[in-house]
Amino acid sequence: MDAALDWLQKTALAVHIRDSLLLFPLLESTHVIGLAIVVGTVVIIDLRLLGLATTHRAFSRLGADTLPWTLGGFAVAAVTGALMFSTNATVYFHNTWFRAKVLMLVLAALNSIVFEFTARRTIGEWDLRRTTPRMARAAAAVSLVIWVGVIVAGRMIGFTATRATINQTTPAEEPNFEDLLGLPK
Amino acid sequence: MRDFALWLATTSPSGFIQEHNTWAIPTIQSVHILGIAMVMGSVLMISLRILGLTWTDQTLRQTTARFGPWLNGSLWLLLATGLLMVIGEPVRELVTFSFWMKMTLVAIGTVVALIFQRSVRRYERQWDERIVHRGPIKLMAVGTVLIWMAIIFLGRLIAYDHVWGNWSPAVNQ
Repeated sequence: MDAALDWLQKTALAVHIRDSLLLFPLLESTHVIGLAIVVGTVVIIDLRLLGLATTHRAFSRLGADTLPWTLGGFAVAAVTGALMFSTNATVYFHNTWFRAKVLMLVLAALNSIVFEFTARRTIGEWDLRRTTPRMARAAAAVSLVIWVGVIVAGRMIGFTATRATINQTTPAEEPNFEDLLGLPK
Repeated sequence: MRDFALWLATTSPSGFIQEHNTWAIPTIQSVHILGIAMVMGSVLMISLRILGLTWTDQTLRQTTARFGPWLNGSLWLLLATGLLMVIGEPVRELVTFSFWMKMTLVAIGTVVALIFQRSVRRYERQWDERIVHRGPIKLMAVGTVLIWMAIIFLGRLIAYDHVWGNWSPAVNQ
């Protein structure tokens, strides 16, 4: 695995991004835009399932309106995330917060699959109702917790992975003092 | 501004945040990002309604009534967490080109959001019958989304202000 990571971070594209002044910040910003769209639309859906907002509208219409944007935002976040990962693959792969974030993304996917195969099956009964089945409310609550966790973990990657060189094979766990103390870079 | 920022760094709220910086700044930033997501979702949904792509079974007034309060509430949240970040890391924020560009766009975006919501409330019928179909209004809907995306870019660039070269005070030490 370490060999694969090493190969990845030595590719021309990874090196180009890492050496560029502007590319990595642009990737980060685009990543934030992608995740803002994902979390923004997911929150809309979850609030509906919890009976807290848009309660007068059919869930299926809400889902149809938001799903393309959730998926599109996720694609943007995934691509920019992969590109950022490639610039320092070894460090990120061994970073605890990165692993936590990946785990939570997997849990988010599992959560929506469970929702699809349980509450979503009976959508005809509760589509227009304010109060949704317990499984739907549970899935919504779990979803909110997970996505907040993804945001936190993602931010913490930035604080715990230093701009290490590719020669570093041990994980860099020290906080990034430049960010933390607000020193100009 | 630099002198003000340096003074701000000596105050006790700033000291508190700096002392607890292992959790304080990351927590404040995470809440800020959550607020960003909710603004983005709200603005996107309203703009998509203006473009006639979504929420077509709802009037513009209904869509705005649904997302307006969340948009406004999230803007307050962003202001509060933003203030905490400025207090906690004054030099990092106040002495950068990106921060002030961002604040300019935030002002523009907020004014547009408020004027728009007030107009839809007052001229509900005209909006649904005529205004929402006008080309310039649709362009404004797209423009608003782009403004908030630009704000996200500038927010991230605060940490990389040197990309602005000579325009950045961080470079012209």
